[in-house]
Amino acid sequence: MKPGIKSMKQHIAETDLALYVSGDLGLFRRVAVRFHAGRCERCSRLVEAYRADRVRVKNIAAEMPEGVDWDRLSAEMTANIRVGLAAGECVARPRQRKPSAMKLAVSWRPAAIAAGAVALLSVAWLLNMPAGTTDELGRALSAIVHGRGSVMNGVNPVADDDRRPVVVANQLGIELRENNNVMGASQDERPVSVSLSVRGSASARYVNADTGQVTITSVYVQ
Amino acid sequence: MMLLAFSPAAFPQTPQKLIPRIELPADSPVTLLSADWGDTSSTPRGGAFSVDVRAALSFRNATQRRIRGVTLAVLSQEVTPGGKGSVSVPSLDVAPGETFPINIDLHLLRPIGGGQAGVPGVAVRLDGVLFDDLNFYGPDNLHSRRSMTVWELEARRDRQYFKKLLEAAGTKGLQDAMIASLARQTESDPPRGGVQIVRGRATNSDPEREVSFAFLHFPNAPVEASSGMARIAGNEAHAPRIEVRNRSDRAIRYLEIGWIVKDQDGREFLAASMPADVNLAAGQSQQVGEDASMKFLHTSIQGMTGFVSSVGFSDGSYWIPDRGALNDLKLRRVVSPSPEEQRLAELYRKRGLNVLIEELKKF
Repeated sequence: MKPGIKSMKQHIAETDLALYVSGDLGLFRRVAVRFHAGRCERCSRLVEAYRADRVRVKNIAAEMPEGVDWDRLSAEMTANIRVGLAAGECVARPRQRKPSAMKLAVSWRPAAIAAGAVALLSVAWLLNMPAGTTDELGRALSAIVHGRGSVMNGVNPVADDDRRPVVVANQLGIELRENNNVMGASQDERPVSVSLSVRGSASARYVNADTGQVTITSVYVQ
Repeated sequence: MMLLAFSPAAFPQTPQKLIPRIELPADSPVTLLSADWGDTSSTPRGGAFSVDVRAALSFRNATQRRIRGVTLAVLSQEVTPGGKGSVSVPSLDVAPGETFPINIDLHLLRPIGGGQAGVPGVAVRLDGVLFDDLNFYGPDNLHSRRSMTVWELEARRDRQYFKKLLEAAGTKGLQDAMIASLARQTESDPPRGGVQIVRGRATNSDPEREVSFAFLHFPNAPVEASSGMARIAGNEAHAPRIEVRNRSDRAIRYLEIGWIVKDQDGREFLAASMPADVNLAAGQSQQVGEDASMKFLHTSIQGMTGFVSSVGFSDGSYWIPDRGALNDLKLRRVVSPSPEEQRLAELYRKRGLNVLIEELKKF
């Protein structure tokens, strides 16, 4: 572990780390992830791993076959998008104009009170709720807005599994994750070995450098 | 509403000191000498308490037998995910009246409202003690009897192996074996990104295919795994099913199969173990399986190999592979050394060959 760097229990979700590396996170989230990764060995290693993957992917992309007519491909894709949009216009229902008599004369005071209450509750939610719950709510709202029947459709499968208890073993140790909450063994030293059971448990083995005593720590889904 | 939003529960709070209970039965073979709970604490977070249990405990062997292993259950909430952990200490050799330490370092969760007066109750309970005659004491709620018995059998096998090696090949032979063991410990890492296990089917929209297991066969194994397959979708394997046959003359109640996965680069690693409670009379066959999914972050599954790693008979005895079987090139690369071999290798690394030889002479 680097000097001054502590192990941190509440790790950043791997999806966020990936977005951070690709520069696709919002400003505040980006700053928060950078702050955390600078102090968390595990997340810092994952960031480095994702960066290495990006370099590898770029190298592979640079090896595309010769003779590809990119202008032609681009023109064809643009044409396909236009055809799709035109087809959408044809099948869309005409909007019904609401009669002006239906307009409600809303006073500004109740609206301001409601806005204040919403802001207050939002702050309380952000302070209280685990990141996973907030993410899940965001996905559900997104699914409603975009008219998807299920929030499971089209969502990163790795993120999906974060909702259920998942036992994880990697070089740094073992974890039990649920809703992005991390539980499990969290010793500062790296285990000499880790193991998983399909019954839903994970074990990490540590050897005390001074006494040689072996300690095996386990976490269980059920 | 203001009260609701800015109530103490609405803000992340500073950790609150916590003193867990240690629950030992009246006839416990070990007694607690001291407990230093360090910075054990609980912190309200969302709808739960985040509980850090860090302890240095000291126990005394209160029996007339030597203790070989101890498992403690650490419980913040027994029935919810994240509420249960355990700490096992194998490869012990504690004489009657001697003391020994157990360190706990676990991070657990407990739903708010489950403790007394808003404070989460955390309990440390004895799950089992294994003696040198392989007798066991304890409630065994976490199946620690199986684990500790297998670790003890592995310890005896490995000590015997290194003693014979010392006799046959001298100190140089033992030294080479220790260096090879230390090197092996760094080679059996799980893949980058790790392995995940989720109960039931994980969510993956990739097309599925069935992939058959290949098997490593050990000549003296009482169980033969003859065929098996799992469903693979992208980087996920689920619903493993394996046909096993009891080729011994004793009834078998338990077996464990190691599951090796080959990735897209041809690298193999031990991904998980598949324990199974069975009822196999001599000569009988049975299919074993588990409704679970195994998933990798940066790895696609190209092949799978299984091997029988331990077998429990109805008379309470166990079978484990011998050192000859473990010399299989594939197994040597992927299977970690036993806890005892890791202890001996660490002893060699930190304190040298002479101390290791003295340690081997004790048994």
